[in-house]
Amino acid sequence: MGGVLFALVTVPLCTAVLIMLVPSRYPQLVRYVALVSAGIQFALSLIVFFAYEFQGGRGLRFGFRLDWLENVGFLGKNGISLHLAVDGIAAPLVLLTGLVIFAAVFVSWNISYRNKDFFVLLFLLVAGVFGVFESQDLFFLFFWYEVAVLPMYLLIAVWGASSNFGTFVRTKEYGAMKLVLYLVAGSVLIFIGIFATFVEADRGTFDLPVLGQVQYDSGFQKAVFPFYMIGFGVLAGMWPFHTWSPDGHVAAPTGVSMLHAGVLMKLGAFGILRVGMTLLPEGAEFWAPVLMTLGVIGALYGAISALAQTDLKYMVGYSSVSHMGFVLMGLATMNDIGVSGAVLQMFAHGAMTALMFANVGALYDQAHTRDMTTFGGIAKKMPRHSAFWAIAGLSSLGLPGLAGFIAEFHIFVGTFRAGYYWAGAAGILAAAITATYILRMLARAYFGPLNEKWESLREMRLGEQFAGALLIAFLLFMGLWPTPFIDRISDTVANIPGITS
Amino acid sequence: MGAQEAYLIPALPAAAFVILLLFGKYLPRGGDFVAIAAIAGSFLLLFPVLVDFLDKANGTDFVPVEKSWEWVQFDNFEIRLGFFVDQITIVMLAVVSFVALLVQVYSVAYMRGDPKYGWYFTCMSLFAASMLTLVLADNLLLLYAAWEGVGFCSFLLIGFWWERRSAAEAAKKAFITTRIGDVGFLIGILLLWREAGTFDITEIFDFAARGGFNNADIGGLGLSGNAYLTIAVLFLFAGAVGKSGQFPLHVWLPDAMEGPTPVSALIHAATMVVAGVYMVARMFPLFVLADDIALDVVTALGLITVLMSATMGLVETDIKRVIAYSTLNSLGLMFVALGSGSVTAAMLYLLVHGFFKALLFLASGSVIHATEKQDIRELGGLAAKMPVTAAVFGIGTLAMIGVIPLSGFWAKDEVLHALDQHRNVVLYILALISVFITALYMTRLFIRTFLFEARDRVGWGHAHDAESLMTLPLVLLAALTAVGGLVVFGFVGEALGFPGGFGEFVFFAEPEKFDFAWGVAIFSTALAVGGIVAGWYFWSEKAEPARRAGEALQPVYETLYNRYYIDDAYQWVINRVVLTLGALVAWFDRNIVNDTAVDGSAGLGLFAGFELKFLETGKLPNYALAIVAGVIGLAVLLLVLRL
Repeated sequence: MGGVLFALVTVPLCTAVLIMLVPSRYPQLVRYVALVSAGIQFALSLIVFFAYEFQGGRGLRFGFRLDWLENVGFLGKNGISLHLAVDGIAAPLVLLTGLVIFAAVFVSWNISYRNKDFFVLLFLLVAGVFGVFESQDLFFLFFWYEVAVLPMYLLIAVWGASSNFGTFVRTKEYGAMKLVLYLVAGSVLIFIGIFATFVEADRGTFDLPVLGQVQYDSGFQKAVFPFYMIGFGVLAGMWPFHTWSPDGHVAAPTGVSMLHAGVLMKLGAFGILRVGMTLLPEGAEFWAPVLMTLGVIGALYGAISALAQTDLKYMVGYSSVSHMGFVLMGLATMNDIGVSGAVLQMFAHGAMTALMFANVGALYDQAHTRDMTTFGGIAKKMPRHSAFWAIAGLSSLGLPGLAGFIAEFHIFVGTFRAGYYWAGAAGILAAAITATYILRMLARAYFGPLNEKWESLREMRLGEQFAGALLIAFLLFMGLWPTPFIDRISDTVANIPGITS
Repeated sequence: MGAQEAYLIPALPAAAFVILLLFGKYLPRGGDFVAIAAIAGSFLLLFPVLVDFLDKANGTDFVPVEKSWEWVQFDNFEIRLGFFVDQITIVMLAVVSFVALLVQVYSVAYMRGDPKYGWYFTCMSLFAASMLTLVLADNLLLLYAAWEGVGFCSFLLIGFWWERRSAAEAAKKAFITTRIGDVGFLIGILLLWREAGTFDITEIFDFAARGGFNNADIGGLGLSGNAYLTIAVLFLFAGAVGKSGQFPLHVWLPDAMEGPTPVSALIHAATMVVAGVYMVARMFPLFVLADDIALDVVTALGLITVLMSATMGLVETDIKRVIAYSTLNSLGLMFVALGSGSVTAAMLYLLVHGFFKALLFLASGSVIHATEKQDIRELGGLAAKMPVTAAVFGIGTLAMIGVIPLSGFWAKDEVLHALDQHRNVVLYILALISVFITALYMTRLFIRTFLFEARDRVGWGHAHDAESLMTLPLVLLAALTAVGGLVVFGFVGEALGFPGGFGEFVFFAEPEKFDFAWGVAIFSTALAVGGIVAGWYFWSEKAEPARRAGEALQPVYETLYNRYYIDDAYQWVINRVVLTLGALVAWFDRNIVNDTAVDGSAGLGLFAGFELKFLETGKLPNYALAIVAGVIGLAVLLLVLRL
């Protein structure tokens, strides 16, 4: 079964090559190739998730190894190898990636300007994301991380949109540049951390399971953990290194926003857990209060900022900062419930925010504005679109029965168990503020009497409806029957060193 | 079939919801019959559960039935979901399923022709399923989930006519206001879990009874004794304050009248809003174990709500909003009862309130349906046109006022009796004053709607009693309103198969034999009658005395009319504080964090690069100079280090 994981990184790469070979006078063919490929990836990711055998022992499954550099120079056995495997944390995130790329292709269907190049870059990015989630080798983890980040620049700068807010302007070039520079700055820190770890371990390998068995000096752990925490934290939208995120999301085209907020931000939180906390448990414990504080600030700050936005996409962007704050809070609890909650939240937020961005895009395509104050009563014209918005919003404010509640609840329980009462209470408050900005937006833009200006709006495209319905299906799946997720996640989380039960 | 199968009670409406959601469009009549059949089934299922429950009991020694299933499993953390049936559960189940059934039948006629007819019954089924789950939940997590679920249904149904700006705003206000209470509720649940290690309600009681919460502490605050438990139950109570519209979170309930009237009858009178009362009654062992301050707070907020809502009811002119104030008034009395330690009084009031308040709302719905008016300044004289509606409304009014022998009398008397016994005389007198005011504004409502001259002849002209589908539920409710209170008597209870009167079925710790307190009864009846007479004096004919009184007491009138300016104050806080804070944070984020710190550091790099490039002159002498300077510098450094 190891081939599944290898296929998941090679399918998008091959698709990128294949699309390059399609003559650009056949844009429709490009779309279908992209769709078929995304469908295959979605199917493979479903296999990875459901075939993952969660019972018994440490959870690495579907192991696959291609040796690259071995016994040369400073490298020993398995020095650098493409070692792929998933555990209970990676399996749901692989599924999330498959889900979001599949939905994103439907949403990106109408891109007509150089759509070939668009999909090539998109699949390159997705290959990187799958690679990070599956890597059991630090070198390749870093490599895939960069593969996932760099196409962003072109995707935003070429296909994005600039915004003019009267008092200030945010160009797409600015958003793209800030995003990439910020993430590259983060990866510099990660790079330092990786090499420090490699040298300190002195095993001549970047293999994660091997590095995980090393007992690192406590002082070393405390010194190096911040490199991972901040380096990966940048991509996770950790306050105060989050400002690339709203601007970047807003500038990006819809499908890219979906992937970016839905999946890419998860890479950051995943990195903190997979690399930082797994290798350096003592360091994590030492820095946990800081991580918790930054998480709580992010959760509240993001929610309050979202309250002040009138631009729909900025509102969603800040809500991502807020929800990723929850993820960091969950990680900082350092106990199995809270950390499981963080992983659950990664999935829940990924599906939910992808749905939100898809909704914003569907509306913008018709209305050419995202200013919620200019709308009013458009639920009459776009009933399904409005229902989708409502469901995404309700999930984000933590309504029981939808994914967000399951995740947030675990995080809150985790904070209380860890003794961070103030953080748990602040998180619950942030969820209440979420309710406020979501319902304000719905009441203002979607309900009330129809603003005549929008008489011409029509229901969103069938493809968009399908993508939305798919995402909602998973929000309901996790909300109503979270057991498959929790079984997979909790088993692995319990085996991470330093995680208390 | 017995109490073990109680889970079927919420399962039926849940199934109806799924069917209606998926196939409602294809069913004839929007599938209303599916919803009604399901809730009728729930109501009927209650009987075998009740019979089984009574069979298993030994006298007044009742055995709760509990059954649960594993849901989430960690190493040492487990969540089980299940149901729990005891006496207060059964009372609640009866109120919810019975009123829901009548309201849905009534709605068939009331909502006929509405373009969203099918959606209405879909929401109603979801509400019934959530509410029945809330009632049956055996653990706090499931209770919380259902609690949010009913809040969501309330949001959907208040905003049922969301094309109206006011309905959309009211729905939002209701959800957010109750959500503020729920912040506390969830914190309370987590505090209890933190020490007890379980969400199961019975296990938490056992843990508390063993003294498990003693000397528990919150993050080094240095709590001792019962302080932890007291804090936890006060947080729980915050949830009840939001849900049951107690001061200071009462503001959403009058606005919630934007929903269709049957919704107001079911959700915002008989069932959902009493969920807070039910929750406190369910968690009562913890409130008793906690320090006295917990029940003091319950009593105080209840009494404040009673007095505030009653006085606001005096000047409100919208028929539904007056009844909404009377609901706040009643809810406050239930909390006063709980705060005075009487679960019996609170649950009795809850039971009969379900009947007479649903009756008042549904009857007012008939009035609105017939006249298309809901401002009592435009109504009047309808008794001649709608005799049945007027009669049942009259019964409901007298029950709310508490006139013997209607059900409201017995319930209110139990509350006053408890207050008299367990609280000081000042609170008792305040409650008696509220009885007088209640009689005053309820009399006003009835007189201005049904008696004397119609002020709007058009609506009055075509008004008539509604069709039987709407009238039948009214008559049934009126009958129960009239005689329902007699369950306090032992012989009535025994005739119905219970071991005794209401107090010997629903009680905390010890069964309470009904004890008719003559003193309380005489006082309260005198005040009620006095209120009716005064009301008649003020509002009969042209209501001249009331107008003069309003002018004489202009500032008081203004204050009441503006609802003590509480809504305005909240609006001010939202606009001036919350949104300003939001704008401030957003400004800070853009200008300080981003433009200054982020772009600034980027700009600094750019600037430094620009400046430093001038060092690269391309002139050999400059480089030679730099080399010489470097060599000297290194030499000096070496010397210094040597020394």
